[in-house]
Amino acid sequence: MGQKVELACIIDDDKIYVNLVKKIIEIKKLSQDLLIYKNGKEALDYFKNSMEGITDEEKLPDIIFLDLNMPVMDGWEFLNEFIKIKNKLNKKITLYVVSSSIDPRDLERAKSFNLVTDYLIKPIELKKFEKIFEKTAA
Amino acid sequence: MLSDLQLNSILEDFDIAYWKVNLFSKEITWSEHFNSLVGNPEIREDRFEFFINQILHADYRYDFRIHFEELLKKNEPFSFEIKLRLTNGKYRWFECRNLKSKGQNFKETAVLLFVNIHQTKRDQYTIEENFFYYRETAEMTSTGGWYVDTVHRNIYWDDVSKKILDCPRDFQPKYDDRNKFYAEEHHLRMQNAFDKCENFGIPFKLELKMVSFQHREFWVRLTGKPVYNDEQTVIGIRGVLQNIDDNKNNELNLQNSLDIIASQNSRLFNFAHIVSHHLRSHSSNLSLIVELLREAKTDKDKLDLLANVEDISGNLDSAISRLNDIVSIQTSLRKERVWIKFEEALEIVLASISSLINRENAKIVAEFQELKEIRYIPEYLESILLNLITNAIRYRQPGRKPVIFIQTYIENDKEYLEVSDNGMGIDLDEYGDKMFGMYKTFHHNNPEAKGIGLFITKNQVEALGGTISVSSTINIGTTFKIKF
Repeated sequence: MGQKVELACIIDDDKIYVNLVKKIIEIKKLSQDLLIYKNGKEALDYFKNSMEGITDEEKLPDIIFLDLNMPVMDGWEFLNEFIKIKNKLNKKITLYVVSSSIDPRDLERAKSFNLVTDYLIKPIELKKFEKIFEKTAA
Repeated sequence: MLSDLQLNSILEDFDIAYWKVNLFSKEITWSEHFNSLVGNPEIREDRFEFFINQILHADYRYDFRIHFEELLKKNEPFSFEIKLRLTNGKYRWFECRNLKSKGQNFKETAVLLFVNIHQTKRDQYTIEENFFYYRETAEMTSTGGWYVDTVHRNIYWDDVSKKILDCPRDFQPKYDDRNKFYAEEHHLRMQNAFDKCENFGIPFKLELKMVSFQHREFWVRLTGKPVYNDEQTVIGIRGVLQNIDDNKNNELNLQNSLDIIASQNSRLFNFAHIVSHHLRSHSSNLSLIVELLREAKTDKDKLDLLANVEDISGNLDSAISRLNDIVSIQTSLRKERVWIKFEEALEIVLASISSLINRENAKIVAEFQELKEIRYIPEYLESILLNLITNAIRYRQPGRKPVIFIQTYIENDKEYLEVSDNGMGIDLDEYGDKMFGMYKTFHHNNPEAKGIGLFITKNQVEALGGTISVSSTINIGTTFKIKF
């Protein structure tokens, strides 16, 4: 493999799921680094801070995996806020919505956001993960 | 005196045929007109018998013989209605009468007149028939007729209208009192319709509530059309009123059931997706673990993964038991409503969470004077109180002693329960529309928040036909208001 994703970001409140994805990324060496937030608010705060230069660490992820059902700020609210600041972030960020909901209304709604690359239904197979990372790195 | 010839022509002009009967010889002579009416038959047998058998309708044979015999014997005047078969083979109505002889000259001769009354008879039948249908239709559909004389300011109701309005048959409604036969909320609509019809001749068709003589409210369909005089000025309004109370109530009930079914259906639909989502999130973790186990190289890696299986099984178990809570809302609907005292329900709830109350040093004030009891499902009322009280304590304002004020009251005939607290409050602009959704928690870093209580509370309230609303101010407190 040539290029690799430098920084991936997972926004999900399911600790077990997050741990498993972390393991996959480690084993398969899909990304050098990983940001983990347990709800949309925490992730959004990070992006806002980095935009305003408050955080020293200005590192922005190449890829985001966003869950929908979360406490405090769910995936939809995050998307609505993220649209507003996305253009001010000087980086191309690929965003996947990841959910175990198979409700067609959710799927439709997610696709209505331009910044959503795809809607992935849990569980995501290892091979699929690899493909997504390859595509993003290319 | 008129000659026979003259008399003949006059009678024919009037479409009147006649017989001359010789009372002595019993000989019968038919006038030319009569002869032609019945088709100038060739008669070989006795003329009277021919008439009876061939021309007269069978129903009248017996009576005609008797009358004719009386005529021969006493020459008494008579008149009755018969049906005769004419040239075209059809029966027509005639009035048969004898002219009373005057003077001696006519003693030996009687005259029987046959007057064609078919048209009159038919009109009479049509009118009777129409009247019959009108009466039947009016009775069957509860439709009455009415007329308002706008010039002399009089109101006329027919018998069916009076029956619909429960008033005596001899009741005469007064023009100035007409408002009181309509429900107050419909006075304006009715007044507008009548005014438009009176002033501009615009007909109307309304569905509104009337009030009967016995003060019973019911739905009617009311139509009205203008009545003009020769100068094309409106002089009155007439129309019908139909009692549609049963239909209207059925319609309202149907709409109500439809609303309930629609809301239940959408709840079930959502529930199906919630179930699917919650079970899938655990099963998908399991399948991820299986994949990772295949990839795992060392025993330690495998053991680490297996520890996750234990967590998943625990999560799955609690997810299912929470789903059970929701399902049980629907099943306990089969339980009966009973009279419950708020005081008693609250005591049960407080006893069950006494340790929480003591630990947080919460103060609970209850005020049930205005509305002491309610017909409800006890488990629901307790669950509602439990959820709202624990919610209030859980989201207390840090550093402030939690105070919860619970009161019941009646407003506009509706029963209310309010639970207010002095807690941290909720930003309703941000969270208001999903307050009562599933797995929504609004307070950061609160490990106790499971986000299901309010969802269940709302379901319980709505399952029994009520509504729940919330008002809140951040750092001041929150009030939940339930309309039963």
